[in-house]
Amino acid sequence: MAEELKVDEVVDARGMYCPGPLMELIKTIQLKPVGTVLSVLSTDEGSVKDIPAWLRKVGQEHVQTEKKEGFWDVTVRKVK
Amino acid sequence: MEKISLVLASDDFEKLQAASMMASVAAVSGMTVNVFVTMAAMACFVKERVEKKEFLKVGEVGKAILRKKAPLYPDLLAQGREMGEMKVYACSLALDLLEKPLEEMIPVFDEVVGVATFLGIAEGGQILFV
Repeated sequence: MAEELKVDEVVDARGMYCPGPLMELIKTIQLKPVGTVLSVLSTDEGSVKDIPAWLRKVGQEHVQTEKKEGFWDVTVRKVK
Repeated sequence: MEKISLVLASDDFEKLQAASMMASVAAVSGMTVNVFVTMAAMACFVKERVEKKEFLKVGEVGKAILRKKAPLYPDLLAQGREMGEMKVYACSLALDLLEKPLEEMIPVFDEVVGVATFLGIAEGGQILFV
């Protein structure tokens, strides 16, 4: 388990269909300064794979993905 | 920058959904995206029809998309244009055949062009024909 992570912003995209959670993340991350840690909550499993793929593509950091009760929590750090 | 171009030629609702989703995700992933709407697909961009959600060919999955209120292809395309490097072109022949001006279409189009222009724009990148 990684050290305690301070989440600056929660993007609650639960109930949204693919690619909704990814789009919500992008909308939010654009407005935030470098260093911001965001947590995306998603009930859509496809998005849980899509978000890390997008992060790799654009060079942002995927910190971790956690399975919670009935949804996933994907943590992201804006590094540039 | 990576470039991808999509040709939307079908009036099949699910195909429009799938292609628009690909286009918008490509655009927000840093790709340059060009979308060319032509032939039967053009009829699915008529403002009145989209507003009334009277889509021409809707299959089982399409019905579920409508029932579950997932974002529709006009929204997906608008999102891609807003958040990424994406241009949507209307085929001038298709507009002529429908006898409709661009103003009667939903406002997602950047320009009316012909096939030769689109091929020039798409040159050097992948083209997906849907």
